[in-house]
Amino acid sequence: MAAWHYQSDLLLPGPLKVVQAFGLAMVDPDTLYNLGLTLRRVLLGLAIALSLGMSLGFAMGYSKTVMQLVDPVINPLRQVPIMAWVPLTIVWFGLGDGPTLFLIAMVGVFPILLSTVSGVQSINRDYYNAGRSMGAGFWSLFRRIIIPASLPEILTGMRVAVSAGWMSVI
Amino acid sequence: MHLRVENVTKTFSRNGSSNTVLDRVNFSVHTSEFVSLLGPSGCGKTTLLTILAGFQQATSGRIVLNGAAVSRPCPDRGFVFQDYALFPWMTVRENILFPMKERKIPKKEREERLAALLAMAQLEGKERLYPSQISGGMKQRTAFIRALAGGPQVLLMDEPLGAVDHQMRQTLQEELENLWLKDKITVVMVTHDVDEAIYLSDRVIVMSARKGRIVADVNVDLERPRARTGQKYHAFKDALTGHLKAAFNEGLAAS
Ligand SMILES: Nc1ncnc2c1ncn2[C@@H]1O[C@H](COP(=O)(O)OP(=O)(O)OP(=O)(O)O)[C@@H](O)[C@H]1O
Ligand SMILES: [Mg+2]
Repeated sequence: MAAWHYQSDLLLPGPLKVVQAFGLAMVDPDTLYNLGLTLRRVLLGLAIALSLGMSLGFAMGYSKTVMQLVDPVINPLRQVPIMAWVPLTIVWFGLGDGPTLFLIAMVGVFPILLSTVSGVQSINRDYYNAGRSMGAGFWSLFRRIIIPASLPEILTGMRVAVSAGWMSVI
Repeated sequence: MHLRVENVTKTFSRNGSSNTVLDRVNFSVHTSEFVSLLGPSGCGKTTLLTILAGFQQATSGRIVLNGAAVSRPCPDRGFVFQDYALFPWMTVRENILFPMKERKIPKKEREERLAALLAMAQLEGKERLYPSQISGGMKQRTAFIRALAGGPQVLLMDEPLGAVDHQMRQTLQEELENLWLKDKITVVMVTHDVDEAIYLSDRVIVMSARKGRIVADVNVDLERPRARTGQKYHAFKDALTGHLKAAFNEGLAAS
């Protein structure tokens, strides 16, 4: 995106041209500024995806009731192709950072949500029972068992979200 | 300490059909007794033990600990799981500290207790390792002292030696006896191994595959530490093997 205007003269620039353009772009303050902007948007969008996806994921993974309540809403949303959101987001947020942020958060939230749900659901039941029989209450179970036990899977979801988020700004 | 199982009945119901696994089971356990629940596979041993722990509820009847009915998990009843259920994201040390932190034991006392427990289980020097980095025997000892760390009145163990080969199992039984002799806590242990039950228990309760009916309640008054030899030992073995067979056949007759 940042290097776009350097190559717009060609539909498919040769590799040398790309390298040249990339070199030029890297020293151009304007481009660096844009790159910084993009990076900020991606990080912000991912932060939104992360907090939303994880909190919803923990609740859905832990409680069947929450799952039954929320899943019928989440599932259709997940089916919507990402480009279909574009006109809507422009209507909602205007032309500023809003639409981009929304799109990044939107593509990032599902991998994080799904991996959190499956991470929590795959926790060995014995861990809960062990925790409870050693005196752990709900928050203790959450902090000392649910989070660390599901973290590896959440990290996998996060990796997918980062690459998806980065792709979607281009 | 006094633990009583009073008329405990457990019925599982699923799409219209119901299956009564335990029907009015009764027995008592006294202070410092090592009691084994012995019975054929599927007779409801784990079900009964998890009801004692409060992981699931009896359909009717109750569990009475020191005069009060209990129905939820609580540190007054420690639990050792078949495959230990040590938290893999915590070191041996953090695992053992877990119940002490939950019980808000002051830091100084925690560290003292930890050191004493590690010494008792001969795990000094292993406390910084993760469960995946230690042997099966060390895991078993870690699970045992983790369950002790919260200061339970009774320890419940579900086939704590179920997952290892015969030779290892005998070694672990000896280690477990050693550990138990150092801290004579009341134990209820589930097993389907006659030899293990005799080697470790003061008392063996034999459950039948027909609704968990108690077919025998045998006092094993062998000297400790025990040896797997001698006439008396073999007499117990023959008697219990007979009871177990009867318990198994009762299940066949019922089904
Ligand atoms: N949650 C459950 N839902 C339905 N049936 C169950 C459930 N838990 C146990 N059962 C049934 O109860 C019976 C007793 O099971 P339990 O696990 O207590 O046996 P066990 O004596 O521990 O057997 P094993 O020696 O094989 O571990 C079995 O027939 C089992 O199918
Ligand atoms: Mg069992």
